[in-house]
Amino acid sequence: MAYVATRGGERAIEQSERLFREAMGPIEAARVAEIRAAMPYLIDRVMGEASLYDEDLAALALAQTGGELYEAVLLLRAWRTTQPRLGVAAAVEQGDLFTHRRISAAFKDIPGGQVLGPTLDYSHRVLETDVLAGKPFDPPKVDPADNPAPAFQPSVSAWQAANDLVDLPKPDTTKGEAIPDVTREPLLFPSKRAHTLQSLARAETGSVLALGYAAMRGYGQAHPTVNELRLAEAEVMVTHPSGTAFSAGRVKVSQAEVVSKQGETLGLGFAATFGWNEVKCIAAATLDLNAKGAPKGSATEEEFFLYHTEGVEASGFCIHFKLPHYVTFQSSLDAMRDARAKPVKEPAE
Amino acid sequence: MTLASLTKPWAPMSYGFLDASAKRELRRKMIKAVCVPGCQMPYASREVPMARGWGTGGLQVSLTLIHPQMRVKVIDQGADDSVNAASIRRFLARVSGAPATLDTLEADLIQSRHRIPEEILREDQVLVLQVPNPEPLRSVQPNMSIARQMHGDADYGRMWLQLYEQIVRSGRVMQGASYPSMVNGRHVMTPSPIPRWDVPKLHMAQHLTILSAGREKRIFAVPPYTRVEPLVFDDVPYRVEEHGGLTCYRSGAKGFFMNEIPQGDGSSAYEVSDSEYGVKAIRTRDGEAIETGETWYKNGEMPQ
Amino acid sequence: MLSPPLPDAAETRANATFDAILWALSRPGLPRALPEAGEGVLIEALLDRECQVYAGDPLLIPLIGQTGARLVDIARADHVFLGRLTDLSLLGHCAVGSDLYPDDGATVVLRASLGSGDSLRLTGPGVNGAVEVQIGGLPGGFWHRRAELLRYPMGFDLLVLDGDRIIGLPRSTSIEVL
Repeated sequence: MAYVATRGGERAIEQSERLFREAMGPIEAARVAEIRAAMPYLIDRVMGEASLYDEDLAALALAQTGGELYEAVLLLRAWRTTQPRLGVAAAVEQGDLFTHRRISAAFKDIPGGQVLGPTLDYSHRVLETDVLAGKPFDPPKVDPADNPAPAFQPSVSAWQAANDLVDLPKPDTTKGEAIPDVTREPLLFPSKRAHTLQSLARAETGSVLALGYAAMRGYGQAHPTVNELRLAEAEVMVTHPSGTAFSAGRVKVSQAEVVSKQGETLGLGFAATFGWNEVKCIAAATLDLNAKGAPKGSATEEEFFLYHTEGVEASGFCIHFKLPHYVTFQSSLDAMRDARAKPVKEPAE
Repeated sequence: MTLASLTKPWAPMSYGFLDASAKRELRRKMIKAVCVPGCQMPYASREVPMARGWGTGGLQVSLTLIHPQMRVKVIDQGADDSVNAASIRRFLARVSGAPATLDTLEADLIQSRHRIPEEILREDQVLVLQVPNPEPLRSVQPNMSIARQMHGDADYGRMWLQLYEQIVRSGRVMQGASYPSMVNGRHVMTPSPIPRWDVPKLHMAQHLTILSAGREKRIFAVPPYTRVEPLVFDDVPYRVEEHGGLTCYRSGAKGFFMNEIPQGDGSSAYEVSDSEYGVKAIRTRDGEAIETGETWYKNGEMPQ
Repeated sequence: MLSPPLPDAAETRANATFDAILWALSRPGLPRALPEAGEGVLIEALLDRECQVYAGDPLLIPLIGQTGARLVDIARADHVFLGRLTDLSLLGHCAVGSDLYPDDGATVVLRASLGSGDSLRLTGPGVNGAVEVQIGGLPGGFWHRRAELLRYPMGFDLLVLDGDRIIGLPRSTSIEVL
């Protein structure tokens, strides 16, 4: 058959995939374990965007894709789709979070204290080039505090609400299966609160930062003050069919509350995600803060930022332009050539 | 209640990749799509092992309909051998065991990106079109909530105005592919980026067409025997690409939608875009007794 | 590479059932065979815990319960199983959706006898010209009431069951009683 070599296309895609994988070399459990141990923040970011908490799978996804983040997240999301839903964990209150780091920019001190926890915020960004010359970088040990910070603290907004400074949203008591799930139903607007927060939790870090930054620079109405930024671990409490509640383990989470003065009260923006990802939470909370009353089509309108920070969709669409488009192109050429061939009519006066 | 009654035996993968609950959601939405032709129905759109924008919407429909006896044809830009068509075909076979075919006449299900085959589809065939952007109003209204309201109100004035302005400026409607079309006299839909050449094939067709946008999470349908009318003014008729007079330099087939192949000397050669139709033309020319179906276009014209 | 998975009996049944439903709604008035008689296969193919269901026939309640779907008032149901309908007023409570979201209109399943009773002429999408069918066993004035309630694209979609045969009557179908 001379006309099309159908097998040709199949061979080509197979070999191109082999080229990619050959460059990665064999993937062994040791490599996955090393990635997991060496890059917890990368693992966190990928787990957050995938909305799938499994450090081993996230490390495997990174190993398989050579660190192509969009591909890694897509791998995890596609795996997540196939998993049965065995149960729904109980809601986690902020006061129940086992806190590693909790800071507030709104007050000099807060109940429970400013807990710096692990951070590079005040580090000098200097490359340890000696490592490359064979001298290991061995960080100095941490001196334990005399009085360890309390592990459990309510949110700063709870204190503000008690002082009538902020209107907290009404507690949502929806439970279990009744909680709207954006992976099982379409996102429609005005969006359900659960869908908004879930979408932000799954959003691509860089896109959230870009739009959040736009809002911070003045394309949003509200200037954020970081009320509270928290890195913590949350207990995943599930109920056995027999009725016994038990912990299925802890997951790392981060959350940010940002506030700004809105008339005589404080507006509150919130975001939380799997893993420790401070930039994403602050930027996402800023978008949330600005969403109320944002003009249609602006970068701080919910529809705008939720659609455009969905990394798997955005990256997929972006790379789909690599696919052949010669039929649509041909169709446009035809209209163009025809329009050129005829004299343009001057609009009648 | 026992554990066995709540669960199923473990399997490495569901049949057709999608789990039963994803399939049920798609079934429910396909029902609504068929019942209100041309109206975009939102669905959850699961993540599948392929990038968004690469046919994940069409794929989810195919995965829901597929069974081991279903013969499946996959094309992209009219060609079976296009790399992404090959990739989708391979995935469908891998998760369903359904046999693949290149022959339009043999196929029970055809998943396509940007083309409708040249041979007339029968009523027992289903065409699944991949849709990048399901919203025909996007160019006049990028906000989806507002666009939805416009569909609700059948408010297509701005769409008409855009077409009118093109005619005033350029003497013709400048829309290339994805020509907006009125379905069943009520909903304007995009027929997906098929060329204008293919839109009349949807009008009062014998087959069912399902259009699915995975990234944008919308599904819509054109049932058989349904009016699909490109938006035109009475005095400016609808015009398909001027391919009716072109001849395929490889197969000799004439009067079908063509791929233009630029030549080194500055001229163009043309090859028939429906690759398998081209194969049939070559084999027939070479004296093989193969079956070629009736085509929608005859002598480069679509009979009214 | 793993060998392709095989469909189990439930998957095969649900697949064939949906094929019949899709065919029936795409060709209003032309009966199609379900893999098994009765509502059971429809319930299995369509319903799960994301659905809100009204069961007019109490015998269907256990089956619907197994899917995890919630039983609700008829007005809030996305799927309505009327069984053999005697009380025409129920039809008026079926959800018709909105202009914004026509997909919120209910899928209504009822039992009737195909091939006897009222002679109907159907036109609209899916119908090549016109098709005539006979549907019996429904309360008097049913078709007139249906026409009153539909405000296309708002409306509900009917699946009419007779044993293992099914006819689809989407809201887009115009029905004339002959």
